[in-house]
Amino acid sequence: MTEVRIAGLRKSFGGQPALVDVALEAAPGEMITLLGPSGCGKTTTLRCVAGFLAPDGGDILVDGRSILDVPLRRRDFGVVFQNYALFPHMTVTQNVAYGLRVRRIGAAEIASRVAASLAEVGLTGLGDRLPRTLSGGQQQRVALARALVIHPRLLLLDEPLANLDAQLRQEMRALIRAVQRRQGITAFYVTHDQAEAMASSDRVAVMERGRVAQFATPREIYQRPVSRYVAAFTGEASALAVTLRAAHAPDRYTVGLGDAQMEVPGAAGLSPGSRHFLMVRPQAVTFGPSGIPATVREVAFFGATQQGEVELAGQALRFVTDPNERVVAGETVHVTLDPAHAWLMPEAAA
Amino acid sequence: MSAADASAARPAQEGARVPSGRPLTPSLSRKGRGRLRAGPWLLATPAIVLLVLFLGAPYVDMVVMSLRTAGHGTPYGTGFTLHHYAEALGNPVYLGALGRSLMLGAIVTAGCLLLSYPIALHLAKAGRSHLFFYAIVISPLLVGVLVRNFGWLIILSVSGPLNQVLRGLGLIDMPLRLLFTQGAVALGLIHVFVPFMVLPIAGALRKIPPDLAEASDALGAGRWFGFWHVTLPLSFPGIQAGTILVFVLSVSAYVTPALLGGQGRTFLSILTVQELLGSFAWPLGATLALVMAAAMGLVVLGFLAATRRLAERTAR
Repeated sequence: MTEVRIAGLRKSFGGQPALVDVALEAAPGEMITLLGPSGCGKTTTLRCVAGFLAPDGGDILVDGRSILDVPLRRRDFGVVFQNYALFPHMTVTQNVAYGLRVRRIGAAEIASRVAASLAEVGLTGLGDRLPRTLSGGQQQRVALARALVIHPRLLLLDEPLANLDAQLRQEMRALIRAVQRRQGITAFYVTHDQAEAMASSDRVAVMERGRVAQFATPREIYQRPVSRYVAAFTGEASALAVTLRAAHAPDRYTVGLGDAQMEVPGAAGLSPGSRHFLMVRPQAVTFGPSGIPATVREVAFFGATQQGEVELAGQALRFVTDPNERVVAGETVHVTLDPAHAWLMPEAAA
Repeated sequence: MSAADASAARPAQEGARVPSGRPLTPSLSRKGRGRLRAGPWLLATPAIVLLVLFLGAPYVDMVVMSLRTAGHGTPYGTGFTLHHYAEALGNPVYLGALGRSLMLGAIVTAGCLLLSYPIALHLAKAGRSHLFFYAIVISPLLVGVLVRNFGWLIILSVSGPLNQVLRGLGLIDMPLRLLFTQGAVALGLIHVFVPFMVLPIAGALRKIPPDLAEASDALGAGRWFGFWHVTLPLSFPGIQAGTILVFVLSVSAYVTPALLGGQGRTFLSILTVQELLGSFAWPLGATLALVMAAAMGLVVLGFLAATRRLAERTAR
């Protein structure tokens, strides 16, 4: 069981900053996902932890001790690569045994540990095959077994499912999560897929241009984003610029949107009079006989749902309704917002 | 450029590879297939004609010539005989020369391999400056064969720079006889054949995905362990191509052995030319040339058979 703390991590490539100030921590046995678009610094962070890159500043503490001076090959971290990085000239068994042979472990123990590891990822019986004769999913299983068989202190996964099709991705995601839980390994998982991040991690770090925009549980990231960036990255959301009229409790506010007023939950400590973005998920929007008047801009039928956009006080708002509800583009509707799916974000609006 | 490049021309998309199932293209109609087949043959025709005319036909002529009787006043007689093969395979002079030629090939190949691998490793890693390094590597080929060998004649001569340096350093008292030895021949050949070893190996090294080295490091392997178990085996297609090229070139080399080699215990290529041009014995010369080609072919085939497993595993 390993605890990790990353503080003030900085790295630039040829004057281009890749990591500005990354701070993260992982409790023993936790699965931390680094989520963000390409170029946000998630892979750079992982590569610094793995030891493939040396950060320009900051520190990475594993169980309280800095690992920056520990050479890569002494870190005992299991790394799973996007392209699997299996040794093409070695059989599955030889690939998995590689890290054990390095450690000069006896042949009998290697054989039993490799067999156990292959069984764990469901590849029993394929030990004599060469990687090129395996499917992408099977290759990724070999890569996982190879990383786990050395009993790593930390498991690092760099977009492990990016090259797999949707069906396989779900299967592999469940497998990785199950193995990680069973062995209680602390893990860092890099992905740009928000569904992957939500479903299989204890905490998610949404990264934006070399910084951690928000680091919290998947539920909190989704329901209480700190900014429009985070809200947009975790699912469909609208952001309405509103004026904060009054604070009732530390995290409940009355906001004004055009002429209308409503009570919404929000980030603690915002001061009345300021303008902020109100995050509204499409499912918060309902139409009724009363409410804030808005004009339907577009509507599309999706089978199970009907989705579209209305213009409300000059701002765009996405909605999702029952497909049988009558919503016609160009007509005026009355909008009610369910505060349970809305959140006043600390991000200031103009 | 080299056989290694041709064999490894597929892009190194390790990750995306899935075992090939049924071909994705729909089966072609009979008419379409016929048209498709004619195309490649038509395109290959000039090359085929060239090969038949200038490689196939002369070889056939050589085989026929080797079976002719010796002529008097003419290159060869009218009758047919196996006498020359008996001579080539039974006379210790020729067998010894063949053995020396093959040994020379082995030594030059081993020397080139040892010298070239570090250079190839460096070339494969070199970034912007790699064109400069490539130019240096192929520089022996830019110098004409005579100029290059006269250079060696000067360097290795009894009063040449090498002997002077060795004496100046106090390593020897008397000048060494370096020239006109088999060692001088090997040295001259290694010098010129290094590019034929470096280029295919560097090509193979370049095609190794960089994350394999990272994976090896992350699994705890030291530099040597990773080199020995990952880099070296995966560069084997390049080693194989370079080894065959250098071996074949050095066994059949003529000018360098003629200029730098001694008069007495010589190589089969020298004897072959002597028979053909000196003694005007074309049938025996043709036989010696064919025996040399066959011996080289057998060695290459043996090498391919011995390394078949490794080659299959590392082919990309």
